[in-house]
Amino acid sequence: MNRITRLVLQRLGSLLATLVIMSFIIFMLVEIMPGDVAQMILGQSATEEAVAALREARGLNDPVLQRYVRWVGALATGDLGESIYMQGVAINSILWRRVGHSLVLALAAFILFVPLSIFLGVLAGVKEKKPTDSVISFFGLATMALPEFVSGVILITVFAVTLDWFPIVSVIPIGETLFGNLDILVLPALSITFVMFGYVSRMQRSSMISVMNSDYVRAAILKGMPRRYVIFRHALKNALLPTITIIGMNMGWLFGGLVVVETLFGFPGMGSLLMTAIKTRDVPLIEACVLLITVIYSLSTMVTDIMYSYLNPRIRYQGGQR
Amino acid sequence: MNDNILDIENLHVKFKTFDGLFSAVRNVSLSIGYDESIGIIGESGCGKSTLSFSIMHYLAQNASVEGSIRFKGEDLLLKSEREMEKYRGDRIAMVFQNPYSSLNPALTIGFQLDEVGMHHQKLNKKEAREATIAALRLMNLGDPKSIARRYPHQVSGGIQQRICIAMAILCKPDLMILDEPTTALDVTTEAVILDSIKDLREKLKMSLMYISHDMGVINKVAEHVVVMYNGEIVERGPKQQIFEHPLHPYTRALINCMPRGSVVKEKTKLNTIDGYVKMRGAEETGCPFADRCDKRTDTCELSYGIREVSDRHWAACDRAYATDIPDSTAVKLIPKKREDVHGPLQPKELLKIDGLQKIYGNRRKVHAVNGIDFSVQSGSVIGIVGESGCGKSTTGHMVSGLHVPTEGRILFDGTDITVGWRKRSKETLKNIQLIFQNPGRSLNPSHTVEQIIARPMKRLAHIDDRGKRRTMIIDMLKKVDLGKEYLSKKPRQLSGGEQQRVAIARALSISPELIVCDEPTSALDVSVQASVLNLLNDLQVETQVAYMFISHDLNVINYLSDHIMVMYAGKICEYGKRDEVMAPPFHPYTEALLSAVPEVDPTKQRTAIALGGQLPDPTKKPKGCPFAGRCHRQVGEICAREYPPMVRISDTHYYHCHIDPTDA
Amino acid sequence: MKYLLYQLKKHPLAIAGIAVMLVWLFLAFFGPNLVPFTHTQMDSDHQMVAPGVNGHLLGTDSLGRDILARVVYGSRSILTVALMTSLFSTVIGVIIGFSAGYFGGKADTAFLRAMDILMAIPPLVLSMVILGILGDSNIGSLTIIVSIAFVPATARVARGVLLTEKSQEYVSAARIRGESHLYIMFVEILPNTTGPIIVEATARFAYSIMMVASLGFLGVGMQPPTPDWGMMVIENKPIISNAPWAVLFPALAIASLVIAISIFSDFVSKVLIHER
Repeated sequence: MNRITRLVLQRLGSLLATLVIMSFIIFMLVEIMPGDVAQMILGQSATEEAVAALREARGLNDPVLQRYVRWVGALATGDLGESIYMQGVAINSILWRRVGHSLVLALAAFILFVPLSIFLGVLAGVKEKKPTDSVISFFGLATMALPEFVSGVILITVFAVTLDWFPIVSVIPIGETLFGNLDILVLPALSITFVMFGYVSRMQRSSMISVMNSDYVRAAILKGMPRRYVIFRHALKNALLPTITIIGMNMGWLFGGLVVVETLFGFPGMGSLLMTAIKTRDVPLIEACVLLITVIYSLSTMVTDIMYSYLNPRIRYQGGQR
Repeated sequence: MNDNILDIENLHVKFKTFDGLFSAVRNVSLSIGYDESIGIIGESGCGKSTLSFSIMHYLAQNASVEGSIRFKGEDLLLKSEREMEKYRGDRIAMVFQNPYSSLNPALTIGFQLDEVGMHHQKLNKKEAREATIAALRLMNLGDPKSIARRYPHQVSGGIQQRICIAMAILCKPDLMILDEPTTALDVTTEAVILDSIKDLREKLKMSLMYISHDMGVINKVAEHVVVMYNGEIVERGPKQQIFEHPLHPYTRALINCMPRGSVVKEKTKLNTIDGYVKMRGAEETGCPFADRCDKRTDTCELSYGIREVSDRHWAACDRAYATDIPDSTAVKLIPKKREDVHGPLQPKELLKIDGLQKIYGNRRKVHAVNGIDFSVQSGSVIGIVGESGCGKSTTGHMVSGLHVPTEGRILFDGTDITVGWRKRSKETLKNIQLIFQNPGRSLNPSHTVEQIIARPMKRLAHIDDRGKRRTMIIDMLKKVDLGKEYLSKKPRQLSGGEQQRVAIARALSISPELIVCDEPTSALDVSVQASVLNLLNDLQVETQVAYMFISHDLNVINYLSDHIMVMYAGKICEYGKRDEVMAPPFHPYTEALLSAVPEVDPTKQRTAIALGGQLPDPTKKPKGCPFAGRCHRQVGEICAREYPPMVRISDTHYYHCHIDPTDA
Repeated sequence: MKYLLYQLKKHPLAIAGIAVMLVWLFLAFFGPNLVPFTHTQMDSDHQMVAPGVNGHLLGTDSLGRDILARVVYGSRSILTVALMTSLFSTVIGVIIGFSAGYFGGKADTAFLRAMDILMAIPPLVLSMVILGILGDSNIGSLTIIVSIAFVPATARVARGVLLTEKSQEYVSAARIRGESHLYIMFVEILPNTTGPIIVEATARFAYSIMMVASLGFLGVGMQPPTPDWGMMVIENKPIISNAPWAVLFPALAIASLVIAISIFSDFVSKVLIHER
């Protein structure tokens, strides 16, 4: 257990370092961005005096480093600043609801693709080179190759336009919550599932194949254990380990996918918020969204790393004699 | 019913590959009686493993099998996968070469043994665990309860293999198949396992099929011997007859090419078998050994075919001692001697090692070499022998500059070269060459033989003229018995023996003064090993280069060395001239090592000294005698407390031990 | 060569994949001359017409622009960017990954830390934010940004293959004859890693197309009037109920190209790595 605690602390430390560097990079990027923030807030028709006054009031004339430190200091106290585009609305008041929506969407996709792709990947690996395998493998390859918005469009054409089972856009009517409108989750979640399914099932298949060809599986078969038993008791646990890492690594694609899917469906999540922020050049909002995505993504890879070490006895009980 | 437990008749196993259909096993018939032990011997690719997997009915999908394998009268080849489950692990059990990968890393040892009993004998959990403990106890594993709770990576390789054997005997099988079970292990560990197998047979009365490439091991465990070559049985019969009076030329050659106790380089050359095993297509017929046989005549294949020569002794050919062809081996047997080439040479101290130490790692320190001193004379061969983890390779790598010593000094011809390759002069780099264990990996697979040999000549010997280089390379290739056509070949197109010849040519092409040979023959088959050893010896005599020859194989070291150094856990146990080290008085470890080497001669059987315990933990700073924990002749607690003093037997011979030399 | 044919025969799907790839390459080169409409031409009498009407083989969008012409023309930019990206990111990745893996120690630790940070933000989000902030993307900026976003992944792969080769004894042999680092990395090791690196590059090619299409879809890719497959999808999404073809065909174009490349990449890895 000690080892795992150390791992957590180590990862948290590196996350902190990552955040500091990341925030600095984003801040600098925004600095070199064409256009004047004050001008943007006030609009093109504002007088020069008004712009100058706002610059002064917001401290925009201070040196870069000073502004950066001020911004980080505010971040540390939980103050994400104000949105420019939405005329001084506190980011805290709009962001978290969106984050919640995105997490629900990600979770829905996660619940769909993880069991499905592991199950089908294992099945394909066990039936290597048989028709079952060919079908699953091709399906995996095809879905993996489809960007989320392409599979999304195909899903929309089939289930929304032709069959009219689900709405084309995922809008929550004013005054209602996401949980009252769960049907808007289905198509976006499916679009994400498609891509992730491709990756994970293919990885699961190849790790299953390599485990099935390992010496210890051969030894288990040759001591007379039934095939089904060998697959479940001997092969599966070892074959799942690499998959955990793969799922962790692909969380990045999942978050990228969220942005695309939310934009396609107009889903009110963090991704579409980030997109709007970019379109409207809403600097504080961009910064807040990117940092948050970094945190969530890093935390999720950390969780998979910890799971990996916990499930692997070779790491859990390191040392001993060898 | 007959009195055989297993009858194999006309077994053919063919594999379909990109290059076409080829036979891994052809026309094999043999039988194993109740309570009989049969040894199958052959070099890599002879089909011995395929044979064992066909008995288990476990072959790749591109295999096709013909013939019959009858186990207690029932043809296993006709059984379905489901029916085979009742035989595997219950009636026929198998043990594999690599214990580390044969145990599931994610499950405890106990679980993996329990399931055998639970599945085959329908035991409940508690009964199964009792059976497990009993089986582990049978293999002399101390504290079986705690072993059962551990994971495989937490025990050593020797114990892992004993666990695998315990798993195999759990259901008291009728037949146990062991496929090179000790090849990956050290010789003292091997001795312990061979002893326990012998023990088991007495207790459990089971039949045994033991597969090995090592004549000595087969000699220890088998009563009946089967010799395979290129998929076919060339000879089989009682051990005594096969070993003492073989009929097939291959059997004779194989027995003769093993280096052994009395065979040393001054007296005789090793016997060799020319050429190498070629993969045979399914259509090819005739004598598989013909292209390498020195007893071949134009008509001998007419009478080829396996037949019973005398009672239970079968052979495909009986020309092993045929006299119509002169014994070519007898002519070649005379080795080159120093006097043949030069006058007696004035030896100088070429390499001097002083207090050499190597500690790997930063946080977890591994003491690989713990302060050793020795020297190498020019033009001589020093053999360094020891088991895995004794620091012999590390020593060689420090001399050649791959590793930088943690402490101590290396003097080469008077100059201090205690630095890594980066800081060594081209002169030093040229003068010390290294030949690696695995020739396939030490030659760059994407370069041609010419590029491989040319590069050091260009860099270190400054031979810049392309044409001149080429002539020299062709010359060099001729010296290692390779033709000009090899220039443009890539390593992948060569056999293991040819690859190692190229590596030797590369090392010698720039006339170094010292060659560090790091287990250069351990990856090779015995017949190829013999020819490489002969070559190394001839070249050494001819060029007067010094060898630092590192090997785990005492027979090989004995054959080639002038001096022998025995290492254990990073320390020198014993050092001396070859004949001094190989004869008493011994350091206890040398004695144990010598006793563990399997003897090829069936009339000479010695019992190995069984070493208990474990290698000392290399991560701890050594204290006392490193061998104390396993020594069979411990004097007392002083052994574990104090590092033993040097005991000088003669000017050239010493060892480190607390035993009073007068008692030794 | 014979081996290649043997493999092709064993994998009929690979032949299909290669064929589709070649078709797209052909269309990118000669397509625009073969289609009767140009990508900006507005047929104001035939807005949102179904495939086949008035010579519009794949129909038109809300402005009456020919979908086929736009799809065919759009293949140029995406193929150019994707090819260059996979090339650049592989080359840079190999240089960085090789150096880090080869020298090991502190250089390697620094590399791993830097990659951790770069990887802490999803590549798509990274490129999207940077391109969005910079504004007005073109082929050049797209290529550079996407390449940068991919380098952490390619560098890791390159480092991995280097590490397996580095432990081989031929590298030790080269060291103790005093070869320079560059010689060992690029003359000794590189030729033995071409298999995995080519496989990585072809896989990168597929990812690049997905990435560029996604960026186009998000509106930070190629700027109008250059037709971009991703952009066409989002542009025409509001009319999906009336003219699904305007969305579906660019989507299918992306799908067919990426799937074809993925199949090809899969085949390459089978031939170069697994079955040798």
